[in-house]
Amino acid sequence: MRLFRRKRNAADFAEEIKAHLALEADELASEGLSEDEARRNAKAEFGSVSVAAERFRMRGRAHWADDLIRDLRYGLRGLAKNPGFTAAAILTLALAIGANTTIFSLLDQALLQALPVEDPGQLVVFSFAGSHPGHWHSEGGSTPGHVHEFSYPMYRDLRDRNTVLTGLIAAAEQDAGVTWNNRAENVSTEMVSGNYFQTLGVRPALGRLFVAGDETVKGANPLAVLSFDYWKTHLGEAPVVGQTLLVNGTPFTVVGVAAPGFHSMVWGRRPAVYVPATMEAVVEPERDYVNDRQSYWIDTMGRLRPGVTREQAAAALNSLFLALRKTEFTGLHDQSDKARNEFIGAAHLNVDDGASGFSPLRDDMRTPLTIVMGMVLLVVGMAIVNVASLLLVRAATRVREFSVRYALGATRGQIVRQLLAEGVLLGVAGAALGLLLAPRALDLLIHWMSGPSADHSAFSATLDWRVLGFTIAATLVASLLFSLAPAAQFWNPRLADALKQQMGTGVGGSLRFRRTCVALQIGFSMLLIVAAGLFVKTIDNLRNVDPGFATDRLLSFDLAPEMAGYAPARIAPVEQQALDAIAALPGVRAVGATNDRDLASEDREGDVLVSGYTSKPDEEFDVELPWVSNGYLQTLGVPLLAGRLFDGHDTAASGRVAIVNESFAKHFFGSIGAALGHHVSRPQQDGTDATIVGVVRDVKHESVRDAAMPTCYVLFTQAVKPTELTFYVRTWQAPQAAANEVRAAIAGIDAKLVVGDLSTMTEDIDNNLLSERTIALLAAVFGILATVLAGVGLYGILAYSTAQRTREIGIRMALGARRTAVVGLIVREVLLLAGGAVAVTVPLAMLGSRAVRSQLFGVSIADPGVYGAGIAVILLVAAIAGLVPARRAASINPTEALRNE
Amino acid sequence: MTTQKSADDRIALLQGTLDLLILKTLLLAPCHGQGIARSIQRQSEEVFFVDHGSLYLALQRLEDKKWIAAKWGVSENNRKARYYSLTAKGREQLQEKASEWERLTRAMGLILNGTGPGTEEA
Repeated sequence: MRLFRRKRNAADFAEEIKAHLALEADELASEGLSEDEARRNAKAEFGSVSVAAERFRMRGRAHWADDLIRDLRYGLRGLAKNPGFTAAAILTLALAIGANTTIFSLLDQALLQALPVEDPGQLVVFSFAGSHPGHWHSEGGSTPGHVHEFSYPMYRDLRDRNTVLTGLIAAAEQDAGVTWNNRAENVSTEMVSGNYFQTLGVRPALGRLFVAGDETVKGANPLAVLSFDYWKTHLGEAPVVGQTLLVNGTPFTVVGVAAPGFHSMVWGRRPAVYVPATMEAVVEPERDYVNDRQSYWIDTMGRLRPGVTREQAAAALNSLFLALRKTEFTGLHDQSDKARNEFIGAAHLNVDDGASGFSPLRDDMRTPLTIVMGMVLLVVGMAIVNVASLLLVRAATRVREFSVRYALGATRGQIVRQLLAEGVLLGVAGAALGLLLAPRALDLLIHWMSGPSADHSAFSATLDWRVLGFTIAATLVASLLFSLAPAAQFWNPRLADALKQQMGTGVGGSLRFRRTCVALQIGFSMLLIVAAGLFVKTIDNLRNVDPGFATDRLLSFDLAPEMAGYAPARIAPVEQQALDAIAALPGVRAVGATNDRDLASEDREGDVLVSGYTSKPDEEFDVELPWVSNGYLQTLGVPLLAGRLFDGHDTAASGRVAIVNESFAKHFFGSIGAALGHHVSRPQQDGTDATIVGVVRDVKHESVRDAAMPTCYVLFTQAVKPTELTFYVRTWQAPQAAANEVRAAIAGIDAKLVVGDLSTMTEDIDNNLLSERTIALLAAVFGILATVLAGVGLYGILAYSTAQRTREIGIRMALGARRTAVVGLIVREVLLLAGGAVAVTVPLAMLGSRAVRSQLFGVSIADPGVYGAGIAVILLVAAIAGLVPARRAASINPTEALRNE
Repeated sequence: MTTQKSADDRIALLQGTLDLLILKTLLLAPCHGQGIARSIQRQSEEVFFVDHGSLYLALQRLEDKKWIAAKWGVSENNRKARYYSLTAKGREQLQEKASEWERLTRAMGLILNGTGPGTEEA
């Protein structure tokens, strides 16, 4: 305030003093002194000029600025005197700020942020209810009633015939072999509609992006747009416009590069190349979806016309959708009333808010991220309670210091200011350290989560500055508020009481508050320890699940000859050639291949016709249908139960054979032996009829979490069309050692063949358990953190309250209490407090665990081991935290303690 | 903290008198700091020695209270100087303070010149 009221500055004042001295000198000179003498006398008479100036400055200037510096200096000195307290408080604040910011940055990116496109608020996402007979290719994220994949003809009809959208776009993603400068690479390719970039409002960084005219008819638009990241990191920012690159062997002309920061309308996708959706058959040589109304594969999004609400759009689009479904139905194979009812009667088009896009990955991350965020909030809660109690303890020990100062004439304002300065120092130091921690933690976490494919991570390591700001502000306010606690004592006019009270036994409201703090801390850490226990046990269980085959010394990689431009007829032969070449390698025990990667959350399901089995009415029973090589089951080591395995006599030319698993045999034939000799085929697919020659034991397929599906293995060499395969190589030595030989062997066949995703089975399983592993890791970290925080907080409070009770303890000891009794007194109090807190928390923990049940595996939400360990840890920490002050109390000399008064 | 407080106390003791003397000096004509000091010393027959640091502080304080106003001017011998003059508010204050002071000196005089309570009753 004073700063702004000032009218005169120091220079003006100095001027006045100078004038004074001159006038004085004049006068003295006129009285007969020499000029020099006069000046000297004038000066002497005035006293020290600088002292006067200083006094002027003290009066008029904003000395709160000077005071602030002095307060900060005092504060620093005070904090330095108590390094333990200071370090604990700063570290606690930093951890809270760091953890909260890191996790929230991920949460924000995954769940909250809008797509980086023009006016995302106008975007809508489409999904539909109703049956979808035929092919359905989904990356996940669809539920019954909310199927996100449309057929391409349906998409075109909806786009061209609606009046409520300014644009309806479509996109689907698939890996494809992209060759640039004779270097082949397996990269993510997004097949998009021509209006994709325009509707989203994405600008080119180079050249041009697609326009509606780039999407005409099937196979007619060999054009490509590159993503900025891919262009920069893989093509070295070469002048690519007008150049040709090969997609699965087909030349595409590059027309431009998309603006940096844009990836896809689907969050989590990181396509390198965009091609028109009409080129689908080139990107996916195994499929041919473009003109098929019964192939559901492409995701859609729309931009509402200005002034049209989502409800209006939904109404208009639904009538159009229903009309189209009616026409589509006439082309279906099954014309029964039931099929009609499912296809038309149940049909509905959902129009949902699309500001943040549709994203299967986001659906997968939602629960884990929410759980982790919950844990972080617990940690933050703990940190605030911890800092609060630390500050209160410190404040209480300083009541005397401040009482004395107050008595000596310091104003309330001065004391409050100094307390605030300390609070600010703590807060700023904590925030600075948190700021230092957060980006590193975020980087580390993203690397950990994305595993070997770091540059494909859906997350970017950008901190959310708003969150950081918020957390810093929150912790700062908290530390300021709590740092003011001792000042509150001075609002109580009975100062003497305050002085006396500090020597008392510490009874009263503040003690209750401190006890609450301790109880809260114990409760928080109990919750976090239980969470850590549940998740660590989950990951442990998952890792130790026996998938039914040995997972060690098993190397896997993908081979997709069509990506190297192989014609369909040449694919199966080159794959067989690769199998033979690898089998001949010295370090290889066995090699096999399948088109249905194991333990990688992949499946290929379909219904089958089984001879000798009449399906129950309305029965829809899908089975797993992998196409494998004749050495696959042997390589994995799947035990044979009846009949025989595939062998070298089963070739493309010999009779079609199939092997089923236990579940399959039991479901269709009631027993294992009864399956042999029966025939299986796919409905409405010629040339799929095969004889069951063997039955094998169930093995885990989709993931270690899921039970085995009924499965029917057939040979890829006898399949109706070529397929890309995942190879499994069983080695004698460590699988990594064989990796180079395998690459060389494949290159020896054809240098254009791309060996993709070369990894060991153990790595594959770990990757498949990514979200579980991430949660377990973070839960463990937070659990340990919570325990440490609780220990520190507990110790601080106990140390204080014991010091407060010095007199009481002295009296007890003077009256004959033994030292062990004194230790027992303190420890018992701690354990009672801890026990009470635990007793309250355990039911809460069980309630909370229900929310995370979906993420657990093989562990009950009331697992006695986990809770027992949690309670043991808490009690141990409490006992240790209590023992140190208790021993100190026991060493009290009663006479001294009493004299202390 | 204690030393500062006692210093303040000392200033407070001088404050009342010095303020009054300044106001009285300015009643006759506007004057600069050095002139005020000289005038007080001269008129008190050199009994009062004006501490110049305190003088300027007092001037600043009075100016802040708007009892006096200041502006830069030129002295008789052509020196630049900051001239202070009494405001209307200052004039009122002078009257008030002066009568207060007279009451105080009269009371002091009564006590110092009197013969004490014991004798009065006897």
